[in-house]
Amino acid sequence: MTTAGLAFRDVAKAFGAVQALRGVSFTVAAGDAHACVGENGAGKSTLLKILAGIIRPDRGDLSWAGDRIHFSSPREALERGIGMVYQEMLAFPNLSVTANIFAGREITSPWGRLDERAMRARTQELLTQLHVPVTPDTSMERVSTACAQLVQVARALAFDCRVLVLDEPTTSLTDAEVDHLFSVVGRLRQQGVTVLFVSHRLPEVYRLCDHITVLRDGQFVGTFERATTPSDDIVRAMVGREPPKRVPRAASSPVPQFPSSPALRVRGLARRPAFDDVSFEVASGEIVGMFGLVGSGRTEILETLFGLATPDAGQVAVDGRAVNVRSARDAARAGLALVPENRQRQGLFFNLSLRHNLVLPLAAKQGVGLIRDAAEEAAAGAQVESLSIKTPNMRVTPDALSGGNQQKIVAGKWLATTPRVLLLDEPTKGVDVGAKFEIHNLIRRQADAGMACLMVSSDLPEVLALADRILVMREGHLCGELQGADATEEAVMRLATHDVEADQPPRGRA
Amino acid sequence: MKQLWRVREFSTLMILVLEVAFFTWYLWPSDGGHPFLNVGNALLILKYSSIYGIAAIGAAIVIITGGIDLSSGAVIGLTSVVTGYFFVQADWSLTASAVMGLMVGLSAGLASSWLIVGMRLPPFIATLGVMGIWRGVGYIITEARFYDLSAKLPRNWTVAGVSIDWVPPLVMVTLAAVFQVLMKRFQWGRAIFAVGGNETAALFSGLRVGLVKTTAYVTAGLLAAISGVVLAVVQGQGKADLANGYELDIIASAVVGGTSLTGGRGSVAGAVLGALIFGVLRNALPQIPGATFYDRVIVGLAVIVIVVMDQVMVRRGEA
Repeated sequence: MTTAGLAFRDVAKAFGAVQALRGVSFTVAAGDAHACVGENGAGKSTLLKILAGIIRPDRGDLSWAGDRIHFSSPREALERGIGMVYQEMLAFPNLSVTANIFAGREITSPWGRLDERAMRARTQELLTQLHVPVTPDTSMERVSTACAQLVQVARALAFDCRVLVLDEPTTSLTDAEVDHLFSVVGRLRQQGVTVLFVSHRLPEVYRLCDHITVLRDGQFVGTFERATTPSDDIVRAMVGREPPKRVPRAASSPVPQFPSSPALRVRGLARRPAFDDVSFEVASGEIVGMFGLVGSGRTEILETLFGLATPDAGQVAVDGRAVNVRSARDAARAGLALVPENRQRQGLFFNLSLRHNLVLPLAAKQGVGLIRDAAEEAAAGAQVESLSIKTPNMRVTPDALSGGNQQKIVAGKWLATTPRVLLLDEPTKGVDVGAKFEIHNLIRRQADAGMACLMVSSDLPEVLALADRILVMREGHLCGELQGADATEEAVMRLATHDVEADQPPRGRA
Repeated sequence: MKQLWRVREFSTLMILVLEVAFFTWYLWPSDGGHPFLNVGNALLILKYSSIYGIAAIGAAIVIITGGIDLSSGAVIGLTSVVTGYFFVQADWSLTASAVMGLMVGLSAGLASSWLIVGMRLPPFIATLGVMGIWRGVGYIITEARFYDLSAKLPRNWTVAGVSIDWVPPLVMVTLAAVFQVLMKRFQWGRAIFAVGGNETAALFSGLRVGLVKTTAYVTAGLLAAISGVVLAVVQGQGKADLANGYELDIIASAVVGGTSLTGGRGSVAGAVLGALIFGVLRNALPQIPGATFYDRVIVGLAVIVIVVMDQVMVRRGEA
C-alpha cells in the first residue's frame, strides 16, 4: 500500500438527505488488482461515478500517482486513462459494434472524416482477442447481453487505459465467459494496468484480486489482504453482522407429493429458434430450478408461459385445466405470475408510488375501473408487511429503495394476485447478500404455502440451495433433470455444457 | 436487389417512384400534353418542395438526437420578413439581406438549445415557446404589412448561367448531400446518432451531449432560415404569416423519410425524399377533379399509409 496509486481521501457525497458516502479514504496501489465490495447502498456506485467524473464529491479528493485529479466530466476521466466497464448495458442499440467501441473517440482523418477501415480493423482485433463471436458491423441490438458486456470491455481496452474499473462485470456472464474475462484482465495486469473490481461475488473477488476494500453504509470498513482473510470475515465486514446461513432445503418441510394434476403442466412447448419441445411439470408446493447458460432459452420459456410471446406449439395447463395464454393479462387470470429479470426496465414504475406499483397487477387482474384508496392501501400494506419491505412510507417512488427491496416489490405486486404458479427470472440478480437470503426465504414460504415456483437462475449455488428439482436447458432443449438431493455443481454444469463444449466461447445469440 | 433494400432510403425512393407512376397514369390526358408529367411541372414541384425539404434536413437531425423542433415554420416566416425588411426597406443587397435572414435561424437554434440543454426544458415545450415568440416578432416588425421583394428582384434572373427557378432545388440537393456525408461519415453525425440512441451511454462515453444537441438545433434553425430565404425569393414577398403550420409538414417529411421519432434512427436524404413525396401530392391532388375538398384528408392518410408501407418494405429487406 506504499506505492502511490489511486488514492481516495475523505470522499463524501450526499444526495438530498441521503448520505451516500461519509468520508471514504483508501488507496489502490499501482498495478494492483483491488476489489471494492459492499452491500447495495454501501456507496460503491457513487464512488465509481466520482472516479468516472460523472458526479462531483461534496468533499475530499482523488489522486493518481501522487497528482491530485479532479474530473469535471467523463471525458476528462477517459483522457486520463480511466476505463470503465459499467454493470448496466450502456450501449447504443442503434449503432454497430464498431461504432459502440469508438463512440466519442472515433479514429478520424485530419479533416474529421471517420476512418471506418481503421476502426473496423481495430475492432476485429479486439473481438478476436476477447473471443467475442460477433462481427464489427453487427448492430448492437442483435448482440446478446453477455457479448454486449464483452464489447464494453473491448471499448475500455481500445484506448490506452491505465486504470480499468469493472462494475459487476460478471452478472450476466457464464462461467466460461468469466474465465475468459479474467484471463484478459490478468494479461492487462501484466502490462501494468491497475484494476478496480466491484462485485457481489466473493469467489470471483478472491480469484482476481489481491486486496479487498469493504464499504458499508457509505463508510470505509477496511482493506483486507486476500491471502490472510477468510471470506466469512469479508461477509461479516460487509453486513456488519454474522453471515446468514443457507436457506434450509426442502428436507425440513415434507417433500411435495404430486397430486393427480400438477399446478403447472407444460407439454411440447416450442418457440423456435429459442426453444423446442419442452415438457415439464411443477407441483403445488414445489420449487423447480431451471438452469442453463445464457442463450439456452430459459428466459424465453418464462416469457412464453406468461403470454409475452406466442409459442409455435405446445400445451400449458394450470391445475389440470388447459389454458390458452395470449397476453400477460390472460396469464394473470390463469393464475400465473412472473417476476422478470430486469426489474428496472420490466418490473417497476419509477414515476408511481410504492402503493400504486404494488396494486397494479391486482387491479389489472380484477379489472377494477374505479380506484378505491382504502382497498389499495390495505392490499399494498399487507405486502409491505408480509415481505418486510423497508420503506419510510408507501408514497415514495421505487428509486428511494435499495435493490433488494425493489426486487421484493416486484415479487409483492404479483403475490398480491395470489397466483397458483410463480415464475421467477433471476430473482436475486444484483441484490446483496442479506436481501438475497430474505428473497430465498420468501420464495420458500410461498412454496410451503402451496404455490408452485419455477425459478430461472444463473447462480448455481442459489439453484442448488433452493430447488427441489433442477431442470437443465441446453441450446433450447431440456437436456436433463436432477433431484435436489443428487444435484452437484459438477453434475448440473456437465448437463448444461455437455462437457466438450465446456471451454468453447459463448454462442453469439442469447 | 436484396442489398438495395438494406439501404434505408431506398424504400422511400420506391414510394416516390410509385407515387409519380400513379399520378402519371391517373392524370393521363385524353388529348394533348400531360398536365402532370412535364418539365415545367416537375420544376414547380421541385421548387416548392425545396422549401420543405431544406428545413426537413434539420428536422431529421434534431429528431435523430431524440428531440423535436416545432419552430421551423415560424423561423421560415420570420426569415422572409427580416430578409424582406433589409432588401426592400433598408435597400441592402439580396446577399446581405439573406445573411440577416439567417440570423433568425441562428438565434432560434441558440434559444431552443439554451432552453433544452441549459434550462433542461423538454424539446417540445422549448421549441413551442420559441415558435410562438419568433412568429410573433414577425407581426411586430411588419404590423400586418408585407415587404414586396418581387418588384426589386430582376426579371429572367440567372445565377451562374442557371435560371433562378433551378436554384432552390440545387440548394436542397447540395445541402442533402453535404449533410448525408456529415451524418454518415463524420464524428459529428456519429455523435448525433449516439445521443439519440442512448443519452446516458453517450454521457458516460465522454461525449459532449449538450454541445451535440446545441449544434443539432442551431443547424436545424439555420436550415429553416435558408428555407425562409428561398420562400421569400420564390414568393417574392416577406410576410409574417408565411409558412404557417409548415413545422408539422416538415416533421412529417422527416418521418416519412424513415426518421424515428424515438431518436437514434433516420436519414437526411430520406427526409428530402419525404418532402418530395408531399410535394408531388400537393401538386397532383388539385388537378384531380373534385378532390379539392379532400386534400387534407388524403395528405393525412398518406402519412399513415406511407409510414406503414415503408415499415413493411424495411422488414422485407431485413428478412
